[in-house]
Amino acid sequence: MKRYWPMLKSILLYFVLTGATVLMSFPLFWMISSSLKTLEETNSPGIVWVPNSPTLAAYISIFQNQDFLRSYFNSVFYVTLSLAGTLISIAAVAYAFSRIEWPGKNIVFFLMLSTMMIPPQALIVPQYVFFNKLNWIGTFNPLIIPGYFAGGAAMIFLLRQSMAQIPKELDESAFVDGANHIQIWWEIILPLVKAPLATVATFLFVGLWNSLLTPLMYLQTVDLYTLPVYVSTLYNINNTVQQWPTIMTAAVLTTVPLIVVFFFAQRFILESVVVSGLKG
Amino acid sequence: MPENPYLNVLVTAALTVIFIIASSYGLGSLARFIVRLRGATAKNQENTFSGYFFAAPWIVGFVIFVIVPLAFSLYWSFTDYRVTSKDPANWVGFENYSNLLFKDDNFRASIINTLYLTVIGLPLQMGVALLLAVLLNQKMRGERIFRMAFYLPVILGFNTAVLLCWRLMLNTGTGIINQMIRAASTAFPPISYLNRASIFVQEIITAVFLGFNNGKFNLLTKLLEAGFPADNRVPLWVQSPLWTKMSVILLMIWGCGAMMLIFLAGLNNIPRELHEAAEVDGASGWQRFWKISFPLLTPYIFYNLVVGMISSLQIFEPIFVLYRDNQPLVSSTISMVYYLWQKSFSHFEIGYGSAISWVILVIILIVTVVQFKLQDRWVTYDVY
Repeated sequence: MKRYWPMLKSILLYFVLTGATVLMSFPLFWMISSSLKTLEETNSPGIVWVPNSPTLAAYISIFQNQDFLRSYFNSVFYVTLSLAGTLISIAAVAYAFSRIEWPGKNIVFFLMLSTMMIPPQALIVPQYVFFNKLNWIGTFNPLIIPGYFAGGAAMIFLLRQSMAQIPKELDESAFVDGANHIQIWWEIILPLVKAPLATVATFLFVGLWNSLLTPLMYLQTVDLYTLPVYVSTLYNINNTVQQWPTIMTAAVLTTVPLIVVFFFAQRFILESVVVSGLKG
Repeated sequence: MPENPYLNVLVTAALTVIFIIASSYGLGSLARFIVRLRGATAKNQENTFSGYFFAAPWIVGFVIFVIVPLAFSLYWSFTDYRVTSKDPANWVGFENYSNLLFKDDNFRASIINTLYLTVIGLPLQMGVALLLAVLLNQKMRGERIFRMAFYLPVILGFNTAVLLCWRLMLNTGTGIINQMIRAASTAFPPISYLNRASIFVQEIITAVFLGFNNGKFNLLTKLLEAGFPADNRVPLWVQSPLWTKMSVILLMIWGCGAMMLIFLAGLNNIPRELHEAAEVDGASGWQRFWKISFPLLTPYIFYNLVVGMISSLQIFEPIFVLYRDNQPLVSSTISMVYYLWQKSFSHFEIGYGSAISWVILVIILIVTVVQFKLQDRWVTYDVY
């Protein structure tokens, strides 16, 4: 018995871990399976693991739904525009905190870290009034513009930590060759922190793509709805029968970009989270 | 500004970039001017300019989007300001705060709900996260795939689409979760007893919390009179006020991957020699976990506790997607941030909403400070 114990133990381990993986991924499986079902099957009192005859009817109908397509485009548009500005400004600020010596740096850095304690929701009320005064309600501006000011202290911190590890000699020799800070930042430092940049970009992407509260507050018309807001309107308690195949089809199409991005970025994320102890 | 919403935001974004570059240049020049007056060297002047130039986006944003809004909301929290009304705001002193803290049932509900999630949800979530981390720490093949699978729910987490899938799965009658419970209970009677016992315990605990919510314990007495649940009972996930918080906890457990990674980092940091020495002394795996790993993990448990508690104050999406259209249920699961949203944006009571924001802010500060003070008593930082 003792001889077989290590083997038995690892079989048991794999058994438990596989079980946990099945449970954890079950919602995803159920989403896909339900999107291929008929309406009767989704509301059936018996268990229908996989549809008897998978149908793409819900996919075909959702691709003819103008509101859904527009909200998909809106999401892609707003996430791209916001991500670009946020990423570049975060990279600039991280550079200031890691590669330059300037008076007041420690104070500003401490201030930045302490903003991590402020829940973003504590600011939404006055920001709403502010954007209302600017006549920005009913536009994409409130969702995009704040990010351009290096929104996200945790992300700046993560990037700063990586930039600080690059040897100082690198910029000094570039200085001697006559390069200025902007060139050093863009041409030397940024290419060296590609992995942390990918991590930050992924976290930002996930946050923006999933964001519900701010789009809900600022995008008042269905023309501007982003995916999460539009998808949430598909479920309506006043309907006697919920169109689950349609809702789940929308859900699958909403989730695909997240899974694709995670698949490509996971090795950066899983490492940098373990290294820095940060979470998204 | 152009009428087209896409063009409009592109123009605004371009103007914002110009504004940021201009203000960066301005701030940098100002800083350089000041250090020049103080007689700094040319190199220092150059560094000062560059430092402020690169940090300016954050500094300017901090003033515009943090300091100024905080100051305004502090002022408004003492007024009866409403966005919709034309009248100027009236100074009302501490009225908003005293109403909020002593008279507001919804606010009290949100505090008690947070307490429920902290006392019952967080230990469950951290327990599962720790278990998964310990299993993954065995260093075997395919560890990476499992790690990915356990972290994926964090990425999907609070997306509306995924939450709607949970709503489908949690449906009381036809949802897959209850169907599986029913099937397992019929096939195997002990599971039925286990199921009903956990329903019984869960409902009594929740009824106690709901009793604190509204000061009436009639639900609890009704439950006790009804006694042990009948044969065919299943959880009423998104249907009964007794279960709404448990559904949120289920989502928390599903998304435990972030905590798991933190624990995994902690387990990686434990020196291997400690375990090897204990093994030589004949300690079992169980003993080694409780005597070595667990005490050394306390800083990570502590970190997860602080972060988890703060995030339970801020739960918004699950409540919005699962219960928004079912008003009687909302109060049984409402979080502080959800309440803030409800007050400020359904009723446009900016003054009152500002008071809620400040209370949330102060609570988070207190929680963090208290936890950091208490940690010396039970967190082990030795060895590191």
